[in-house]
Amino acid sequence: MALGASGLVFYATLPARLPSPLDWRSAAVLLARDARPGDVVALDPSWAERGREVLPASVPVLAFPRLAGEDLLGVRRVWLVALPRAPGRHATLERDLVARAGRAFGPLRLGGLEIARYDLRSPLLPLAFLPDRLATASVSAGGEACARDDRGAFRCPAITSVVVAREEREVDFLPRPCLFAHPAPPGAEPLTVAFPDVPMGRALQGHTAMVGEAALTASAPVEVAVKVDGEVVGTAEEPPGQLGWHAFRFDTPRAAGRVATVTFTVATADAARREFCFDAYTLP
Amino acid sequence: MTLRRALATVLPRSLAPRLALAWAAVTLVVLAATAPAQGIGRDEGVYLVAAESYASFWGELTRSPSLAVATSDRFFAVNHEHPALAKEIFGATHAVLTLALHWTSHLEGFRFGAFLLAALLSFLLAKGGFALAGTGGALLAPALFWAVPRHFYHGHPAALDLPVTALWLATVLAYRESVRPDQPTGRTCAYAVATGLAFGAALAVKLNAFFLPPLLLAHALIAWTASSKPGRHPVPLALLAMAVLGPLVFVGTWPWLWHDTLARVRDYLAFHLHHENYSWHYLGRLLREPPFPIEYPFVVTALTVPAAVLFVYAGGLVHGLARLLPSRRPAEGEGAPGPRSTSDELLLVLNALFPIALIAWPTVPHFGGVKHWLPAMPFLALLGARALVAAGRLLWPNRRALVTGVLSLAALVPAVWAVVHVHPYGTAAYNELAGGAPGAASLGMQRQFWGDDVVGLLSELNTHAAPGARVWWQETALPAVRAWQRDGAVRTDLRWASGPEDADLSIWQYHQEFRDKEFRTWTEFAEAPRARLPVRLPRPVAGLYLDEVPLAVIYARPGAWR
Repeated sequence: MALGASGLVFYATLPARLPSPLDWRSAAVLLARDARPGDVVALDPSWAERGREVLPASVPVLAFPRLAGEDLLGVRRVWLVALPRAPGRHATLERDLVARAGRAFGPLRLGGLEIARYDLRSPLLPLAFLPDRLATASVSAGGEACARDDRGAFRCPAITSVVVAREEREVDFLPRPCLFAHPAPPGAEPLTVAFPDVPMGRALQGHTAMVGEAALTASAPVEVAVKVDGEVVGTAEEPPGQLGWHAFRFDTPRAAGRVATVTFTVATADAARREFCFDAYTLP
Repeated sequence: MTLRRALATVLPRSLAPRLALAWAAVTLVVLAATAPAQGIGRDEGVYLVAAESYASFWGELTRSPSLAVATSDRFFAVNHEHPALAKEIFGATHAVLTLALHWTSHLEGFRFGAFLLAALLSFLLAKGGFALAGTGGALLAPALFWAVPRHFYHGHPAALDLPVTALWLATVLAYRESVRPDQPTGRTCAYAVATGLAFGAALAVKLNAFFLPPLLLAHALIAWTASSKPGRHPVPLALLAMAVLGPLVFVGTWPWLWHDTLARVRDYLAFHLHHENYSWHYLGRLLREPPFPIEYPFVVTALTVPAAVLFVYAGGLVHGLARLLPSRRPAEGEGAPGPRSTSDELLLVLNALFPIALIAWPTVPHFGGVKHWLPAMPFLALLGARALVAAGRLLWPNRRALVTGVLSLAALVPAVWAVVHVHPYGTAAYNELAGGAPGAASLGMQRQFWGDDVVGLLSELNTHAAPGARVWWQETALPAVRAWQRDGAVRTDLRWASGPEDADLSIWQYHQEFRDKEFRTWTEFAEAPRARLPVRLPRPVAGLYLDEVPLAVIYARPGAWR
């Protein structure tokens, strides 16, 4: 009897625990009015992705289960759009934000939604995000220059499997803006991507990953050697068989304050199905 | 002659078959009425093509038998990884209701065959329920089965899971009658033949049925060992009938096996023995390859069957196990309602547990939710119905019907609410223990499968898609789209796209394992980069949500959505 009654209560009260279309519209109006460049929306719980459809397109939306450990590159303020009474919701995102930001607004209740704004205490503001500068880059593989196609991707005539493109790809179920860079097979001249006139700071930071389930089939690492004006500053390694967005950081104090050519050389002993993806940015 | 008198001449005189027929009729009507809202899953799309092809063969056979047999491979090559019988039934109802009579849409015509098998399941549940617990059992057993959103969902598609469940139950109930110690010899033989035929039909629907002989043999041996009359033959006649009639029906209804029979049977079995492991989301992790968690089918059952019905199932199982104990065991031949022997009790309990335990085996592929252990559920419903009736008798013997009625309503009303609430998105159904769809999403459970939820976006797609737009349907199969277009449910000018690169519209369906498809869409549909500004990613133009949990969204290139 108790289970039956609890079942009835569950289904009878569920709609009231969730936001209505009007609640979402209210949130959209608030964000359209108050959000500014450098703001993002974080959805809590992360599956509440109706926010992508209804919130202003000018504000990027993050649907991440955790924000701890995320760079939040270029982000100054995070609007936490939460469904506080949704079944199964844990306030982990809120805790992640409190650890690195101060609440500057809210929480404001909009029916089944709750909105609060968190201002990051130490925003990570890059001097240059290199995937967005691919149009200015030069790419070669197999000893030959690669050419841009009409979509902006580089295709390499010497080794047709080699492609370099600025893409959004899945890494461990999350979207990552990155340079998709399929490496050249062993024995061939490796894939090289060179970015001219990159504003430099004290460090060059980034991540490597394999896209989707390709990560699971690898037998050898992918290595990315990084040069600044021809000088090797470090080598990042994407380990085989490990899902994840693996971070690297190289100090570049000698290049700080000037522009330089940053070159990435991507090589591996196992190039089959290597849907390799990396990003890199320079920090003041 | 009045209608009442006419019905009285047609309907059986006794209550049990009347109740069973009533349940079958209600099942048929409800499923037929609610089916148009339900989408076409990946498998069903293929089965529709196969069903029509197989029906063509049988038509050809009546016109030109030798030519039809000589060219049978042409008709049966499609979907030859599954036997033919269910698809032949779908093809037959389509041929009659749609092509000959023009009474139904093409899809409904195919699905009517599935409704008939679902009606058979209700009929058998009511009959079995009556045998176990009288009128209460007959009323409750089908209700306890269908008041589960995922069961109700599987009643609709022209697919194989519900049909094999019905035929599994038919086989076991016929076997049960055949081994009754008080059965006259003639009826024992008749039920043995019925067991063999039902088993053959089950084999001719889906692979699950191959597990029936070892299960029933195990039952027979245990029952023989435990019997107070050990002089009886350990192998019942029904098992011999299964051995003879099963393969005959299997091969006879599947003309693909009429050529190279042994080699093709071997290929069929090899295909399923080495079945691909589809990635599957479970409690926040992605199951990719064995060993899979043993508890998977138990946890998924616990999170998808409405809580009160789950409790009744569990109570029925415990009640059944308790009746196996020597101190509680009724003597053989003890009067109905109730178990006639230990053998009978054991049969029900084994069938309630075995299909679930089979999928729990760590090397068996784990995907598809409850459909892979659906044959267990009618037995849980039967045991649950009997337990509810027994609870009424125990709690207030003088008002047992009232008590059973109140307990049943407490179990069934929220469950029926859940069915209505979730329909037609049954693969996304989770119970109140999971927190419904939102709670399950937070737990990291598989959001949905089969690609049929897209049906909820077809109206918007037809309204807003630009003329001639190319659509990347992702998890929805081409035959499903073709079937919708044939029935006018999808505009015929919309074209098929094989990826985001050649698509104007992309329909992303929430499968964590295919998440890259959504992000590739973002890449392709993103606005052209602007100097010194971050890339602006596309946003969905329409979405389908179940209790705020996204099931599918549509992305559009600029100009493709009007």
